[in-house]
Amino acid sequence: MNVFLYAFAGYVVLGTVIALMAMKGLKTQEEYYIAGRRVSGVVSALTYAATTYSAFMMVGLVGLSYAGGVGALGFELFYLVGTLLLLSYYAPKVWEMAREKGYITPGDMIAERYGREVAVVMSLLASVALIPYISAQLIGVGLILDKTSAMSFSYGIAASAILIALWAFLGGLRGVAWTDAVQGVFMLLMATAAIFWVHNNGFAEKDFFAEVTRLGELLVVPNSFWTPLKFISLTLPWFFFALTNPQVFQRLYIPKDRTSLRRMVVLFGFFGLVYTVIVTLIGLELRTMTEMGTFPRVGDRDAVTPTLLSLMPPVLGAAVSLSIFAAAITTANSIVLTLSSMISRDLFGSERVGTGRLLIVLLTLAVTFFAYSRPNYIVELSVLSSTILLAQLPLILGVFHFKGGAKFTGISTLIAGFATAIILSFAKLSPLGIPASIWTFIVSFTVFFAASRFDR
Amino acid sequence: MKLLEGLAIIAAMSVPFFAIKSHDMSVYLYWTAVTTAYLIYITIKRW
Repeated sequence: MNVFLYAFAGYVVLGTVIALMAMKGLKTQEEYYIAGRRVSGVVSALTYAATTYSAFMMVGLVGLSYAGGVGALGFELFYLVGTLLLLSYYAPKVWEMAREKGYITPGDMIAERYGREVAVVMSLLASVALIPYISAQLIGVGLILDKTSAMSFSYGIAASAILIALWAFLGGLRGVAWTDAVQGVFMLLMATAAIFWVHNNGFAEKDFFAEVTRLGELLVVPNSFWTPLKFISLTLPWFFFALTNPQVFQRLYIPKDRTSLRRMVVLFGFFGLVYTVIVTLIGLELRTMTEMGTFPRVGDRDAVTPTLLSLMPPVLGAAVSLSIFAAAITTANSIVLTLSSMISRDLFGSERVGTGRLLIVLLTLAVTFFAYSRPNYIVELSVLSSTILLAQLPLILGVFHFKGGAKFTGISTLIAGFATAIILSFAKLSPLGIPASIWTFIVSFTVFFAASRFDR
Repeated sequence: MKLLEGLAIIAAMSVPFFAIKSHDMSVYLYWTAVTTAYLIYITIKRW
């Protein structure tokens, strides 16, 4: 048995014990989906961070920094300051409204303002956006485990699917939050260990700040990789991630009091800053080492992390691989749990916890099916997820800033935004040279304001 | 007020696109410093 499998066995046992401990008293949807609104600030922050930061960080962002340079840090930090800005303003309002009116899903807020039918459409839109996104995460993790000989692709997908369903099924949000908290700390520790290893191997006798100048234009923006338009088109959907992604929006309901809510936002900010700096630094150091001739030149940016893992000592490589696996699981089971709450409550109108548990199993099966079958459109859809979810933004901001608009406004905004994102992306169209995410933003807001004039 | 704060932070984060052109870690350190400063501001201010 390889080192990874020993670590993996310990991880499974620990996570399952935590999920079992969280099972007590999960009789209502409020308990099951938002942990009875009694989560501490620290656990809220760690589950928020672990849900937000997926396997994309240690795989995609390392590769993006390696291939495109410092713009990757800017892209990710624009997201972080956007999130802090939005949460410091909206989080207290959302938390208070949720508490007063008994919201459990993000759709509850939308249903009250625009009508139940709009929440139904929103739950369908979120499913279309997020199911392929989770599948793509599993495919990515499966490929990494396979490439590093930790586990075969098929076993990697199966193990991921079982853990996603099991921990959410058993412990609901409390189980997911507690396991997220442990895994979030582990993710940060392993990223720190990875940067120390990379730095010691590449720059023990060299000055990184002197050597990094070899990267030339990769150290400035814009450059040949990060054009201004590319930067804006990728950053715009992420800037509003905190409001448009239901799995993080629902986490605004869970802190036990205002102090915990504030602590959640601030601690998440520190986690995000440290994690982002470490991950992008790994990418830049590896690229500098490539230019120095001490790390292989990697053409496919998604292969940078697997190459790094294959060069690490087995124990460290296994631990970092496990942290990437954990990052995928924490994001995936949070999304599955939130989608199950939206589909059971908003779509089917069910008040039963059992419906949600059944949906967790069905959603996980759907995710697994997509991951195994790997249809071509799955990658396009997963990349598109944040752009599709941008269609909800006018409705969410409208709750706080705009009195007009009801059912017709809500449904037409969601359909117009969704159609824009899908048509432009699949047809690979950029009218006037403007990318799909910016068009989705413009069309959604235009339709929202136009429709609200006729909709009282 | 919040809109002004949003515009200020976006403007501050956009500076490397216009003003920092040296081929060293200046852009990296600048973005990290601005985000850290904003995080400290969020930590301290009342909201």
